[in-house]
Amino acid sequence: MRSAEQKRGEHLQRRTKRILATSLFAILWIATVASGLRTLFHYENTPGRVGALPRAWPATQIERSSDRPTLIMLAHPHCPCTRASVGELAQIMARLQGRVSAYVLFVKPKETGRDWDGTDLVRSAEAIPGVKVLLDPDGVEARRFGAETSGHTVLFGADGRLLFSGGITASRGHAGDNAGESAITALVNNQTPAQTEALVFGCALANRGETGPTALCLK
Amino acid sequence: MFEVSLGASGVNYSVERANELFEQHRQEIYRATDRLFARLMFFQWIAGILIAFLVAPLTWEGQSSQVHLHIWGAIFLGGAISIFPIWLTRISPGATINRYVIAVAQTLMSALLIALTGGRIETHFHVFGSLVILSFYRDWRVLIPATVVVALDHFLRGIYWPYSVYGVLTASPLRSLEHAGWVIFEDVFLVISCLRSIREMRSIATRTAALEASEQGFRQIFEDAPIGMAVVGLDESFNQVNTTLCQMVGYTESELMQCTTVDITFEDDIPQGKQNAEELLTGGPRSSVERRYIRKDGEVLWITRTACLMRDVDGHPRNFLIMVEDISERKQAEKALCESKRELEAAHHANQLIMDNSQDVICSVDEWGRFISVSAACEQLWGYTPAELVGRPYVELVCPEDRALTNQVAEVLRMDGKISDFVNRYTRKDGTLVDVLWSASWSEADKIMFCVAHDVTDRARIEKELREAKEEADRANHAKSEFLSRMSHELRTPLNAILGFGQLLERQNPTEAQRTRVNHIINAGRHLLNLINEVLDISRVETGNLQLSLEPVCVTEALEEALSLMRPLAAERGIELLTPAPLEPADYVMADRQRLQQVLLNLLTNAVKYTPVAGKVTVSSSTIGSGPIRIMVSDTGAGIPSEKLARLFTPFDRLGAEQSDVEGTGLGLALCQRLIHAMHGTIGVDSAVGSGSRFWVELARAESPFERVALEKHNGAYSQNGSEVCSRTILYVEDNLSNLTLIEQMLSDQSHIKLITAMQGKLGIELARRHSPDLILLDLHLPDLAGWEVLSRLQIQEATREIPVVIISADATSRQIKRLMAAGASAYLTKPLDMQEFFRVINETLAPRLAA
Repeated sequence: MRSAEQKRGEHLQRRTKRILATSLFAILWIATVASGLRTLFHYENTPGRVGALPRAWPATQIERSSDRPTLIMLAHPHCPCTRASVGELAQIMARLQGRVSAYVLFVKPKETGRDWDGTDLVRSAEAIPGVKVLLDPDGVEARRFGAETSGHTVLFGADGRLLFSGGITASRGHAGDNAGESAITALVNNQTPAQTEALVFGCALANRGETGPTALCLK
Repeated sequence: MFEVSLGASGVNYSVERANELFEQHRQEIYRATDRLFARLMFFQWIAGILIAFLVAPLTWEGQSSQVHLHIWGAIFLGGAISIFPIWLTRISPGATINRYVIAVAQTLMSALLIALTGGRIETHFHVFGSLVILSFYRDWRVLIPATVVVALDHFLRGIYWPYSVYGVLTASPLRSLEHAGWVIFEDVFLVISCLRSIREMRSIATRTAALEASEQGFRQIFEDAPIGMAVVGLDESFNQVNTTLCQMVGYTESELMQCTTVDITFEDDIPQGKQNAEELLTGGPRSSVERRYIRKDGEVLWITRTACLMRDVDGHPRNFLIMVEDISERKQAEKALCESKRELEAAHHANQLIMDNSQDVICSVDEWGRFISVSAACEQLWGYTPAELVGRPYVELVCPEDRALTNQVAEVLRMDGKISDFVNRYTRKDGTLVDVLWSASWSEADKIMFCVAHDVTDRARIEKELREAKEEADRANHAKSEFLSRMSHELRTPLNAILGFGQLLERQNPTEAQRTRVNHIINAGRHLLNLINEVLDISRVETGNLQLSLEPVCVTEALEEALSLMRPLAAERGIELLTPAPLEPADYVMADRQRLQQVLLNLLTNAVKYTPVAGKVTVSSSTIGSGPIRIMVSDTGAGIPSEKLARLFTPFDRLGAEQSDVEGTGLGLALCQRLIHAMHGTIGVDSAVGSGSRFWVELARAESPFERVALEKHNGAYSQNGSEVCSRTILYVEDNLSNLTLIEQMLSDQSHIKLITAMQGKLGIELARRHSPDLILLDLHLPDLAGWEVLSRLQIQEATREIPVVIISADATSRQIKRLMAAGASAYLTKPLDMQEFFRVINETLAPRLAA
């Protein structure tokens, strides 16, 4: 028969072990969760690359509007992050009520078929009133507008001058108010924007090998 | 509001129990909410993975793609966030740390989901939802870490990833306030909700504790009830039983719970039980019925079963509550009562028969004297029927002259409880009087007089006649005795002259012829004198005038004295007087010494006279144990025929001896018989013709005066503690019993004086010699010796010479006084005694001896 003292000692020992295990587990948990969140947030807030931006309307097959600003978004049809950018574009178009001519160009490599551009993202863009959706074979137009990251948006004035260049989401795939959206709205409304450039968050429009080291969006 | 039970201990118990219940409830909530969050965490983890797969399964680089970081984040980060709180809830559900870890983890899960859904505004509701779910803990402090995590998330993101929070580099202060406001807004109401829940939980706990206490009380009553109690289902099965019921029916609780009431009910009583149950179910009132149960050992048990219906809150019948009381003893008592009642009725019937057939009136009367019941014989006694008498006071029937006495006797009856042989007169219905003899007893408990009455009219008349006849005879007898007494006295006077002158003539030298004539005159005179004396003695006995002095008399002395007197006569007639064995000197009888001597002489004279020449007369005495002493005188005479024995003690009946030459008056034995009876003894004779006769006298044994004095001396010489006390002994020699009693009473309060008495002079001398008293009181007129002679003998003997002698005598002549003082008396007191003088003389006489 174990004495009460022994039982009490064993109980205390088990309790101490449990506290130690819990404390250790808690520390490990905090560290793991903190690092994981940090990695996740860091990934979401790391902008993509931007190519050489034209100062004025480049030579392109896209028709520029002469009586109003022209907005062009370069996008990857499969980029999940661009869903937020398309959403923000819809907000901008709704807010500006036709005072801007807008295009969304989905990059389509040569060897891709119909499945490439048959995504819900393309259909979402097509559904935005006043937005023309075009395919950009091999990303030729993207390169002309200096875009290397999906969701990159440029705004040209009626006079062909570049007014704005950058993303219209606050972070990767993150909907909501952001600096790019505010700048475009201000520029179309003939106001002075707080900034004319913004970071672009999205997938890379082309392989790194195709665009060089600066063409990749960060993972 | 719940009211605590009375008493300090009751209050403490309820509060403690309420706190205990509250803590239990709270712990249950904590554990349940822990489990809820554990499941929620797991669900959120899986949901996050699915969302990641749906929203951003791949990340693209041109045409090439790879798994999106959200997928890995959802799997690993979501898992990491969930695993710790799930583990905690597994190992210690309800622990305090769990709630805070879960609060943090849940908020982190919100952040993860918001990230996985691309910051959709809808996903932000997860934060508010999480706060609400956290409030399930009803612990407002849990909201603090959740709110802190939300704040830290915004703060840290604002620092490190400012765009991720508000989308702009410089966040608007108003937006921050708005975000914080909504969270705090919700927190405030959730805190209020938590506090209200806590109050409600406390209230519930308090009510539950009170309910438990109340239920405990009822359970205690149920368990400790002195009657059997049970909760029975509608199907008659036992749901709950108390100990008393189990003991009553002999089953254990578990056994009884397997039974139904039908199982233990006596078969004949089952239908009634079912009917009672149906009546209750149909709204009948509470029923209480007597029935029989069968104990486990098979014994039949009589019980009273009271049942009522228990309903639920909706009023639907739920159970029966039955209360069972063991009435077996009562049933047995009732049975015994019935038996007793039946026996009583039978006895009453028998009594009535006895009363109705009794020749005596048997009746009972209440405390107010009214007849309660009367036997049929009353009609014969009083002329009234029982119906006419019942309720009527019996006094009304009593003859008016006897009513006062009757009422007095009735009072005596009530005090003593019983009377018998009371006779009073009643007036019959026809007006005639009837004498009634009553025996009655009074019952104080019932206040009833039980009487038996008997018609004694004839008996009373006869008794009255007999009484009158006896009184007449007594008067005649008394007159006869008086006549004899007077006549004897009148005869003595001339007889005195006849005997006197006859003796004078005898002394004057008469001639032989004259001497013969003179002897005839003297003998005839003496015979006549004896006859007169005996007649006088009988007369005195019968008239009650004979004075006897009963005292212890030595049988040996009395017999020797009588024998010495009879020897000359016996020798003259050639009769041998014998005493076959030495007489026992210690035998004393209570008798008058002179009269005993007279009886013995009479018997011896008869024996000598009626025994032929050369015959034998034997005198003896015998005792039987401590009983009376028998003195026997036997002769060898002709004997007495048995038919004549009855006349032997009849006066003047000589049984034919008057025809013989034996002289006699026929009064001797009659006188002996009366004298012996006067001395409380018996006298008788055994005789057979040809064998002689044996006369015997039996007298009560008396204690020897010597032994009594010795015993008194021994007892009186020592006090109770054994020390010798100053004690003086006085010997009083006096033949008069009244005088003896007087002196005894005069000295009775003198505790230091012991009185010895003697009624004869010789006995007095012997007592003086043996006991050497300190003082002798001496009467001068003693039956055996004169007082002066006693004094003289005392003076002669050395042992008694120094003992002072005080003479007490009625003779107050100076000559007598001088004579006795000269003879050696210490003092002379005359009768009647002067008490003061008596004690003075006593004290003065004893003083020198005391000093010595």
